Amino acid sequence: MIGFLARRLAGALVILAVISVVTFCLFYAAPRDPARAFCSKVCQPETLELIRRNLGMDEPLAVQYWHWLAGIVAGRDLPGFGGCPAPCLGYSFATQEPVFGAIVDRFPVTLSLTVGAAAATLGFGVLLGMVAAWQAGRPLDRIASASSVVGASLQIYFVGPLLAFALVDTFGVLPRPAYVPFTGDPVGWFTHLLLPWAVLSIVFTANYTRMTRAQMVEQLAEDYVRTARAKGMPERVVFFRFAWRGAMIPIVTIFGVDLATLLGGAIITEQTFALHGVGELAIRAVQNSDLPMLLGVTLVGAGAIVALSVVVDVLYAVIDPRVRLG
Amino acid sequence: MHSRRLASVTAVLVAGALALAGCAKGGGGGPAEAGGPALGPLENTAVTTIKVGTARDSAGPAPEVPGARTGGTVNMLDRDDFSHLDPGRVYVNYSAAVSALFTRRLTAYRVGDGGTITLVGDLATDPGTTTDGGRTWTFTLKNGLKWQDGTPITSADIRHSFERLFADFVTEGPDYAETWLVPDPKKPFRQQYEGPYHGKHLDSIETPDDRTVIFHLNGPHPDFNFTVAMTGYGAVPKAHDTRQKYDKRPFSSGPYKIVSHVTDKSMDLARNEYWDGTTDPIRHAYPDRFHMEFGLQAQQTTERFLADQGADRQAFTFHNAVAPERVPEVLANPEVMKRSVQGLTPFTSFYTINTSRVTDVNVRRAIVTAWPSRQLQQLQGGEVTVGRLATTVLSPTVLGYRPFDLYGKLKRPQGDPEAARRLLAEAGQPHPTIVYAYNLTPTQERMAVAIKDALGKAGFNVVAKPLATAKYYEAVGQVNNTFDVYWGGWSADWPTGSTTIQPQFDGRVITDGGQNYSHLNLPAINSAIDRADTISDPAAAGRAWAALDRQIMEEAPIVPEHYVTYFGIYGSGLGGVKLDPILGGQSALGIYVK
Amino acid sequence: MTTVPPPPRGPDPFLSVRDLSVRFSTEDGVVRAVDGLSFDVEKGTTLAIVGESGSGKSVTGLALLGLHDPASATLDGRIRLEGRDLLPAPRGTLERLRGDRIAMVFQDSLTALSPFHPVGRQIGEVYRRHRGASRREARERAVEMLDRVGIPGARSRVDDYPHEFSGGMRQRVMIAMALVCDPGLLVADEPTTALDVTVQAQILDLLSDLQRDSGTAIILITHDLGVVAAAAHEVLVMYAGRAAEHGTVGEVLGEPRHPYTWGLLSSTPRLSTPLDLPLSPVRGTPPSLLDPPSGCPFHPRCDYTGLAGPERCRNSRPALSPGGGAGTSATGGRHADACHLAPELKAGLRPRPPAHDRPVDGPLDRPLDRPLDRIEDTA
Repeated sequence: MIGFLARRLAGALVILAVISVVTFCLFYAAPRDPARAFCSKVCQPETLELIRRNLGMDEPLAVQYWHWLAGIVAGRDLPGFGGCPAPCLGYSFATQEPVFGAIVDRFPVTLSLTVGAAAATLGFGVLLGMVAAWQAGRPLDRIASASSVVGASLQIYFVGPLLAFALVDTFGVLPRPAYVPFTGDPVGWFTHLLLPWAVLSIVFTANYTRMTRAQMVEQLAEDYVRTARAKGMPERVVFFRFAWRGAMIPIVTIFGVDLATLLGGAIITEQTFALHGVGELAIRAVQNSDLPMLLGVTLVGAGAIVALSVVVDVLYAVIDPRVRLG
Repeated sequence: MHSRRLASVTAVLVAGALALAGCAKGGGGGPAEAGGPALGPLENTAVTTIKVGTARDSAGPAPEVPGARTGGTVNMLDRDDFSHLDPGRVYVNYSAAVSALFTRRLTAYRVGDGGTITLVGDLATDPGTTTDGGRTWTFTLKNGLKWQDGTPITSADIRHSFERLFADFVTEGPDYAETWLVPDPKKPFRQQYEGPYHGKHLDSIETPDDRTVIFHLNGPHPDFNFTVAMTGYGAVPKAHDTRQKYDKRPFSSGPYKIVSHVTDKSMDLARNEYWDGTTDPIRHAYPDRFHMEFGLQAQQTTERFLADQGADRQAFTFHNAVAPERVPEVLANPEVMKRSVQGLTPFTSFYTINTSRVTDVNVRRAIVTAWPSRQLQQLQGGEVTVGRLATTVLSPTVLGYRPFDLYGKLKRPQGDPEAARRLLAEAGQPHPTIVYAYNLTPTQERMAVAIKDALGKAGFNVVAKPLATAKYYEAVGQVNNTFDVYWGGWSADWPTGSTTIQPQFDGRVITDGGQNYSHLNLPAINSAIDRADTISDPAAAGRAWAALDRQIMEEAPIVPEHYVTYFGIYGSGLGGVKLDPILGGQSALGIYVK
Repeated sequence: MTTVPPPPRGPDPFLSVRDLSVRFSTEDGVVRAVDGLSFDVEKGTTLAIVGESGSGKSVTGLALLGLHDPASATLDGRIRLEGRDLLPAPRGTLERLRGDRIAMVFQDSLTALSPFHPVGRQIGEVYRRHRGASRREARERAVEMLDRVGIPGARSRVDDYPHEFSGGMRQRVMIAMALVCDPGLLVADEPTTALDVTVQAQILDLLSDLQRDSGTAIILITHDLGVVAAAAHEVLVMYAGRAAEHGTVGEVLGEPRHPYTWGLLSSTPRLSTPLDLPLSPVRGTPPSLLDPPSGCPFHPRCDYTGLAGPERCRNSRPALSPGGGAGTSATGGRHADACHLAPELKAGLRPRPPAHDRPVDGPLDRPLDRPLDRIEDTA
């Protein structure tokens, strides 16, 4: 297990390094000059030069990258703004704050949103799928299957504003989505995120309902399930302890793949509900041609996906002992 | 929406393109709804009268807003956080709008009823005096001006505010004054003065006493008092100048100070108790606090203002317009229309004709004549969303603006192919080929078809040339570009003709990436620009710029497109919300909680 | 291995199946997988049910445990275990009996054991479920059972997962799991088919040892007559969901009466047969149970319809009877078969040498690892 984690960590570092280099190169390959955004309306060439110097963009690309890399380990001293202690992911051109601080500040929002929505997606998706499989062919199955078709055809930017307008603006059933720190007010945290969770998970839940139903039906025909029945295990034990385990394996696999999509969905959700998370930072960084922020957010996003995929792998091993984390 | 990113000309153009792209989303409704029936057409002539005020106009307090009450919290909902708060780094109208609450300048605009705009002294007792045609400007500070810590605002602070603009970190703001305060305007100003942080002062700013500031410019600039009304020339206290960090937490000279600011999330303002209303001719400061939230798209704010629930009743927006798709609904709702703000902004849009390629003036005139202005306006979402049809270079919000319609665009807004044919015949080119370059967006794609169609009827052979968004402005900014017509936009930095006409039509400033996109270079116009630039009487200068406007349009270097309008709504619990015609959004200065 | 002589029959058999029929409704129609099957099994004896794939032998096994999905399967007839009727019993009752009084061992131990749970837990949970044992008691019992079925180092292997065992060891685990509650009846569905010959013998020995110790009745479902010879007391040959022949091992293998049984026997290789003598599989293919042949279901494949009268074979279904023709009662330890041929004709027609060449007990005389199914597939 420890060996497995160490190998995954090393792999993750390589992936992150590659991603950072690619982001770096893509950013400079893009046909626009980030310095222009910091230049006056009538942009004098010497002002542009000055800005490039201020941003550290007058140095060769490799040197810039090296400074940035070294900053993560050793911190940096940024003239005019003071120190940027390690891990220094750089200093945002546009928002004038250390990238790391900005991300740390917003990370709980995106984490709450994503983890909550992931839990809701898995929880409700699997639950509905199990109910559908349990009631296969009966009305409840039809309802679950039909609602999953509807859910799958919805879009965040469509459902989000619609639900917000109805539940928040018009009827006031739910508070306006916002991030309330969990540590300060767990109930407020929950109620304020309820709508974003619902909207983000609605779109994904449908998939899991369908998949779980199909998997359960498949698993229930498996030999080992028949054995469990032959042992006299009650039907609900057969269903929830035996068949469920087998059905979860492909679900978890797909869930691992879906996590990246879910993060993407979180970005749209943040935009839809004006939640100030990492996704918003990312969009803003693109709009502002803010390389350090872009790098930071990309890395954190990639890091999150890598970390979550390790979690999924561990989960996978927990569910299926045939998979060994050696 | 149209104008938030005005930090550079490129940005102006980008913003315009974004606006167009944005309209594509909502404006799909098409021509039928786009006309905006509920809005009576405002006469372009009557929109604004602009004048330079007197010492009396400059004295505080600002005249009471009828029915206004003091107290309460006003909420502000908008898409973006303010990109800069350090006055020296503010160029964008949106940041300027909030800065007015805590940054005072030497001069400012008082917006009266009926669209009058008066340049008055803000920190200064009057809008500045000059006795030598605009070379030397004297401003006297009012009595009782204080910073947020109670210390007086002195002439040394004002001098410092200008000197610090030479520092290497101040790159985003305007640089008119910097260029005029150094000995040689032709050389980069930073090479001539390194800023105040090494102990040296600018020789050209004199502070004979604590209340007097005298500027010695390197040439005549009769509208320098307009220049210093820009937020970019706002006051920064010498004792509290934190340099780079000032952008995060500016020191207040206005009625409010920043109590908290979380980037991209929220900002809270509370009263600055040292601000004295009797020194201030433009700010009322009725509410006790402002709470501002960012990250809300126009669609979201529109829905929240329409729902008008809870704290949103006391909410306005500096800049978010009514989402294009909700415009018909808002127009049809009299209750909501009572809490709407609409009118002209200083922004204009147009199609530049490349005069170095289309050299025959009659061909250019034929382009203007045949241009399908109405169709294009409708494709972009209609008059209310995008703006009024324009026929001039200058916006109606510019001092001295005179309306004229040389090519009958208001009579035949859909284009006049017959008249265009006659012009082409006169030019001896019945079927000229015109390369139209445009930004590749769905709306612009449709617009290109309309243009091709309309010009085709007049005999033109139009080659539509789509360009990638990222490359567009660089491509059309090349002097030797291979395009004949391309879209552009402009906003005047202050409401006189000089900041519109000189940079765009002075033939002596044609460079790659410059602003003279039409490459118009006519000695008569160049010298008329020089003459108008030195007229010290504002009204006479206004007449001169208006005459130049007509003279330029005779040459047809552009097809004027729109005088861009703003249309926004706010919560029912607020009063005193007006259009700021200088910044083109909602003004917070007279706002109160009902 | 020695064959234990069957104990004398009491008035009420331990397991009694009468007129069992199992029908599945499918999209194409009703499949009569089992049709009017009757047999008894006494404690301590082994009944082998033999037949090709699709003959209904596995369906019969599953029916005994009530494992058919009531949504698609219809069961009729009577199944009586220890004097209790199982067929109309509610699901809960059946669940309590399964694993406790009736247990089942399946063919492929790799798929039949849960891959997600340690073997000890899978064994122990049966004990907990039926005996209300605590976790620890169940675990101890699991170790004991693993030890009993001959898994070396049982205590250290109790937390291992099925995939960590070899095929034979896994089948032992299955058997341990089936016997953990000392069931009266064990249904073993092809328990050795997936195993190699040596291991097959070990498993059959194990079953027979366990039977001796606990007196369990065993129903051994197989297609392999070699296994039957080695392990069963009685044999029930099934064809198309019905009994074709029924008797003791000696009777059925020694004096087989039904032409189908003859076919089965001649297609079973044995070491005593000269290697150059070709095996002769039963010709033709098993009938479709959706639309079974009229009359004797075996008649399309039978070589002797001419002797019995083609009309008769085609139109009249032969009953299972001691004489081979008339009569209705079937089992009762009397050798019976369902064929229109006259008994004396059968005695004459019975192929040789199989008659007296029934396999002798002992490891050297095991059938080769050539399942019938496969031979038929190639035919």
